[in-house]
Amino acid sequence: MKFVLGRLLSIAAALGLCFAIDVFAHSQNDYTQRLVALAGLYVTLSVSLNLINGITGQFSIGHAAFYQVGAYCGGFLSVRFYDGSPVHGLLWLLVMMAAGAAAAAGAGLVVGLPSLRLRGDYLAIVTMGFGEIIRIIVQNVDAFGGPYGMNVQPKFLHIWLIWLLAVSCIAVCRNLVSSAHGLQFLAVREDEIAAGAMGVNVTRVKVTAFMLGSAFAGAAGALLAHFEGFITPATFAMDVSFIILTMVVLGGSGSITGSVISAAFLSYLPEYLRGLKGPEGGTLAVTGASVAAALFATIIAAGIIRRLLDQARGTPRSRALGVAGIVGATLIGKIVIQWGLLFIPYLRELKIEAGQLRMVIFAVTLIIVMLLRPQGMLAHHELSWAFIGKILGIKAPAKAVTPA
Amino acid sequence: MSLLEMRKGTIHFGGLVAVSEATFAIEKGDLFGLIGPNGAGKTTCFNMITGVYRPTSGSVYFKGKQITGTPPNRVAALGIARTFQNIRLFPALSVLENVVVGGFLRHRTGLASALIYLPSAIAETDRLRAEAMDLIRILDLEDVADVRSADLPYGKQRRLEIARAMATQPELLLLDEPAAGMNPQESEDLLRTVRRLRDDFGKTILLIEHDMRFVMNLCEKIFVLDHGEEIAFGPPEKIRNDPGVIQAYLGEAV
Amino acid sequence: MPLSLQLLAGVDFHTLPQQVVNGIMLGAIYALIALGYTMVYGVLKLINFAHGEVYMLGAYVALFASWRLGFTPEATRGTNLQSSAFNLVILLLASMAICALIGVIIERFAYRPMRQHARIASLITAIGVSMFLQFGGALVLPISPEPNVSGEINPYKGTYQASLTPSPTALVRQRDAAKQPYEAAQKTFDEYIAATHEDRFNLSPKGIEARDLAQQAERTYKDLESKVESAGVSVIVPKGQLVMLVTAVFLMLLLRHLVMRTRAGRAMRAVSHDFDSAALMGVNVNRIVVLTFVLGSSMAGAGAMMTATFLGTPLTTFYGMEAGVKAFTAAVLGGIGNIPGAVLGGLLMGVVEEMVVWAGYSSYRDAIAFVVLILVLLFRPGGLLGSATMEKI
Repeated sequence: MKFVLGRLLSIAAALGLCFAIDVFAHSQNDYTQRLVALAGLYVTLSVSLNLINGITGQFSIGHAAFYQVGAYCGGFLSVRFYDGSPVHGLLWLLVMMAAGAAAAAGAGLVVGLPSLRLRGDYLAIVTMGFGEIIRIIVQNVDAFGGPYGMNVQPKFLHIWLIWLLAVSCIAVCRNLVSSAHGLQFLAVREDEIAAGAMGVNVTRVKVTAFMLGSAFAGAAGALLAHFEGFITPATFAMDVSFIILTMVVLGGSGSITGSVISAAFLSYLPEYLRGLKGPEGGTLAVTGASVAAALFATIIAAGIIRRLLDQARGTPRSRALGVAGIVGATLIGKIVIQWGLLFIPYLRELKIEAGQLRMVIFAVTLIIVMLLRPQGMLAHHELSWAFIGKILGIKAPAKAVTPA
Repeated sequence: MSLLEMRKGTIHFGGLVAVSEATFAIEKGDLFGLIGPNGAGKTTCFNMITGVYRPTSGSVYFKGKQITGTPPNRVAALGIARTFQNIRLFPALSVLENVVVGGFLRHRTGLASALIYLPSAIAETDRLRAEAMDLIRILDLEDVADVRSADLPYGKQRRLEIARAMATQPELLLLDEPAAGMNPQESEDLLRTVRRLRDDFGKTILLIEHDMRFVMNLCEKIFVLDHGEEIAFGPPEKIRNDPGVIQAYLGEAV
Repeated sequence: MPLSLQLLAGVDFHTLPQQVVNGIMLGAIYALIALGYTMVYGVLKLINFAHGEVYMLGAYVALFASWRLGFTPEATRGTNLQSSAFNLVILLLASMAICALIGVIIERFAYRPMRQHARIASLITAIGVSMFLQFGGALVLPISPEPNVSGEINPYKGTYQASLTPSPTALVRQRDAAKQPYEAAQKTFDEYIAATHEDRFNLSPKGIEARDLAQQAERTYKDLESKVESAGVSVIVPKGQLVMLVTAVFLMLLLRHLVMRTRAGRAMRAVSHDFDSAALMGVNVNRIVVLTFVLGSSMAGAGAMMTATFLGTPLTTFYGMEAGVKAFTAAVLGGIGNIPGAVLGGLLMGVVEEMVVWAGYSSYRDAIAFVVLILVLLFRPGGLLGSATMEKI
């Protein structure tokens, strides 16, 4: 009884949150609405990739492929069968999500099979290859509109549903890692051979992870197709896979909350930059010199911080102060370097709009995270109350383990 | 019927013959030692039994049934668990979690119920944790139950490997150099623990060890391999005085 | 039509040798790029994801160098500039030098700090560097309209033609026989025009008759000529591409000499065999790693200069992606870490790609690299010349 009540309450809370997001988004302009929707999709994508990469340790960098399979499956079915189907509206959309998820899970099965024989970097390359193959095949199918893409009718603007998918994805992953089943997945990540020797069916775990992760990406794809009303193969190019990867890596592979936070942050950041206004009221444009200076300063700072952390001298507090000092010095350094670079006419005259920096920022984020904190923001941790307490130095009461 | 039988187990890696026609039988309740100089093929024997490698020829029988080439997880489910020479714990998992993974074979709820977190899945997880805790107590690891296994001192990591293997509730336990890197005191404690696993829990134990004192004090039957071939078999007293063994270990104190 | 025939509908066996030759030309370039992947993997066990972008930058260096030498789009329009082999050497050296420098910078700032971390962390860093060069490059390099190195800078114009199987003599004889009446009719018509000063576009009936006769003779001759051509099998190679092939082979031999015959090469092989032991034996591994990047990146630079100059492909900052993937596949196909393997793999990849185009599937030419890659990794992970290593348990 207590369980049922608790479960109902959490479902109600999740729905409430999703509707609140929906109401908020719909009170804003179209642009913001789209931003909120895309953020929700990216949360789903990065949490589901985290299941494969972070929790199961099967390094996949072709996640956009599953997103694409879901989108094209949902889109194609809608175009073909929506007129004259007995199911309409929301119910149809749910069916499309299920179809997209099923198709993507099938693709996940195919891509997961190589993971039985390959590890690490080779597996990564193969997943990327599968992603590209799927994209090229779709590009050559006339029924999908080839490289020009296809219009998807009907359109739905259910932002709450997008976020509900994200919340479900988070819940499923969280449930998995807090049950004994999830330990199998973690064990496969930690040491495949030892896991096998302890009776873990490594094959099944890997394939399950791929299928489950892909299914969520597929459902997200189906939603995207019906939200945008138009999809092309270019929507799912390799850089989308890399964006999702950056989100997982920044959040800390294995950390669900980390993926959520970095997905939300990284899908907002470029839009924030695009929205920046310059002194004349137009979009903000910076000189090539400024961008280059920022870059040099960041690289130099990253190098110095890395050395500081490697030597690991002094208390955590003094090290934190050191890092803060370097960050401050970086800002000054940036201005100095920029002043120097302004003597190069090409860099002085080259104007770059802030919005164009989007992918560059992702790339730099990826590099800097790897150089400074390869385990990501939260590493394996979850941003739970206990973890916050631990950071702040409050000791949580030890969990009592009941003897059997 | 023997618990485990290796019949002419042979394995080649390219041109190298790692183990050649190894034949031995382990009875229920044995404390069976597998010794030999470095590179003699001992760990390869373990890998053949547990399905990590498929023998080039020959076969392995467990409780009268052929298990040659069965995948490792199936072998574990049949009742053979092992530890590793170069410790292979799950480094980022806690001691307790490491042991729970071993116990997962006896898990009775499906994946779906775990994904939606049904009470049955929660209860099952709690049960496995409690069982794991019992094993942790037996191997004296309760003070570090919540510590990341990578952060444990070496001796405790070795004991954790045994706890994790025990969690699969095996009939036959394969220990690959369990005393390696331990100081005499730790080694002494381990010896008592291993004997207890046999006496109190009825496990049959096959172990590889370099520490001769440890093997001679613990094992009742010893099988000696050199260059992949059997050179002696018998009780410790016989092995101690076997000229072939002394020859193989020339320079090492036997 | 049976399916097997349908799949091969676009196949014309007369063009097969030509496609194989094209494949070898392309493959030589893939081999040059693959060398960089294979050497870095051999030494650092790192898939240098950014190698394709080094190649891309090499092409841009060639472009800028050609502009510096005066072959700008404005200058080449209309006027006839004279070029020489000297210009090509300058372009080649510039590309190689700058690429070597870029490779070393990437190693120093992105890969070296990651050396202690897991291999997968290095791979992510490499992906980041690759993305950075693609998208960052797009901000500062000319991409629109897509520039290309002017063909004027290539002094080796014209083609070589080699005929592999001669046409049937009977056909040739018929053609030769038809040539004389054709020329005669043409001459008669020209003389008629010259004599009567008639307007070619407004002929008198007599003129029309002469013209028709001439056209008839021409048609007969041209028909026979095309029959002769399609009956024989010949291969046409632009001279520039031949220079490309020779240079590529020369560079590969040079590299082989460096790796097999010099002290540094021996140290490199030692590091590749066992990084830590080589370090303990007193090999300056950092120097060797830098040398590896210098050699690998300059090979990519040379390849980039040659494709940009002799093939004249338009440049974008994504120029290196496909070539990079194909070259990486070539390295894996030959056995990664294995230098002759990279060359063999490169040539095979070039030929396979041209075969796919030849069979009429040109829209899949970029997918084929991935298909080959996946098949090799799944079924022969050691590649053709390498051997798979087994994890010790």
